[in-house]
Amino acid sequence: MKKQYFAGVDIGSRMTKVVIMDEAVLTSYVVSTGPEQRKLANKVMEEALAQAKLSFDDLAYVVATGYGRMNVPFADKQVTEITCHARGIGHLMPSVKTVIDIGGQDSKGIKLDSGRVVDFVMNDKCAAGTGRFLELMAEGLGVKLEDIGELSLTAKNKAVISSTCTVFAAQEAVTELSRGVPVEELLAGLHEAIAARIYGMVVRLKVEREIAVTGGGAKNIGLVRALEEKFGCPVLIPPEPLVTGAIGAALLGRDAVQKAADSGTPLVRSERRLEEASFF
Amino acid sequence: MSYYIGVDIGSSFSKAVVLSGNELVSCHVIPSGGNYRLAADNVINEVLRKAELIPEDIACTVATGYGGSSVSHYDRLATDISCQGRGIFHLFPSARTVIDIGGQFSRVVKLDDKGRNVSFLMGEKCAGGSGRFLQVIAHVLGLDLEEIGPVSLKSKNKVSFNTGCAVFAETEAVSRIAEGAAVEDILAGVHDALAARIQTLVERLGMERDVALTGGGAKDIGLVRSIEQTLDTSTLVPEEPQIVAALGAALIAADISSN
Repeated sequence: MKKQYFAGVDIGSRMTKVVIMDEAVLTSYVVSTGPEQRKLANKVMEEALAQAKLSFDDLAYVVATGYGRMNVPFADKQVTEITCHARGIGHLMPSVKTVIDIGGQDSKGIKLDSGRVVDFVMNDKCAAGTGRFLELMAEGLGVKLEDIGELSLTAKNKAVISSTCTVFAAQEAVTELSRGVPVEELLAGLHEAIAARIYGMVVRLKVEREIAVTGGGAKNIGLVRALEEKFGCPVLIPPEPLVTGAIGAALLGRDAVQKAADSGTPLVRSERRLEEASFF
Repeated sequence: MSYYIGVDIGSSFSKAVVLSGNELVSCHVIPSGGNYRLAADNVINEVLRKAELIPEDIACTVATGYGGSSVSHYDRLATDISCQGRGIFHLFPSARTVIDIGGQFSRVVKLDDKGRNVSFLMGEKCAGGSGRFLQVIAHVLGLDLEEIGPVSLKSKNKVSFNTGCAVFAETEAVSRIAEGAAVEDILAGVHDALAARIQTLVERLGMERDVALTGGGAKDIGLVRSIEQTLDTSTLVPEEPQIVAALGAALIAADISSN
């Protein structure tokens, strides 16, 4: 049988991720999501294909997910990010029963069983508990987003941040900084605040181990440690936490092709092609 | 002649009022900043200067608000709810529901026919449910807070916001501007979003007419109209909505002295 390739495209509020796989991941590609998502989807797909030395026609199936999934005109199918995350983690870390995904503008908790969603909770209504909170804190305190995790671990004490609301917490942190509280102690306090917020949401699921953390938030070691403290157990982090949803999307594409082959029914594919799509 | 001071140290603004009997002599409002004691000293000095009085002329001072205990000299500390009730009862004896839109919280208070607080409900400390929402949006649109009310009234095609969170609304406002939405339509949408949050609070407590509005948010005519439309009622708005609790504190000071 000819080798088959699958792609997953995950357009998040802040980051766009593309994964191309056969049996394993061949290429994963991550860029910032801009305002023109349709053009962006084409461009990142072209670049991911170039990296993998493949052409669009080599792809047996393309699944789009994430909040911008409707803006991927060349996708064969759109699937919610909850389903894709579950499928991705189920494949990467089969022992995981609970996934905490911390994205740029939302956060979710997913309970899963063998890669299938059993239950989930989500917050996309309030910036507290999402990556946006960390972004604004880093900005307010004048520290690069990628540095705040490590820096917070050097704190000897944790500052207490009394506000939940992102706007007021940022103001509180800046006021405390001007009063001489060390920046690492403020960051430790802010990580604890966001961990408490996420814990409060995810705990409604009756959390079971193992717990995995995915999304941009998983790249922040300060937040990961704060979550471990809250949940009282170590958590698992995939090697590339940003692309879990895209991997899941590609795997769901492989599942669709497999199912069609097994049952002998024709595979339903989008008629659109990458070249046509670039006119959007 | 006896003079009384009411001083209200809020999270965002400090207000002071001087009364002679029941008559307003002077009032003053300044930002609270990071030092409440300093803000209290400054606002009291200024309100005395405006009244052409010295501290020895004052028979009684009542302090209230989030930072009320930071006032260096007062005769009594009162809760801001009782001060606000007293102030509103003086201005609008018919008011039974008071909606206070402050810099960090919104609050709804029900009053009886003597201006006493029957029950109240406090919103959580959330920028999206308080006057802070207006500040965030005014800032991103490059407008002064005072301008947004009149501008919003010009709207013909309100933008409907998908979020009640001030942080997400700021991002949404920026994308709507990029898509070509008019500033007045965005502001009208923000006023509606905040009015909807306030409506939830009011409905949980139960609304009884007349309805009065206080706090900095009541200075925004766009928000006032939006609340009136959402709650389907007219509202009573004091000339100086920010000083109602300070006025009430001064009235309580007068009550204490006359007893």
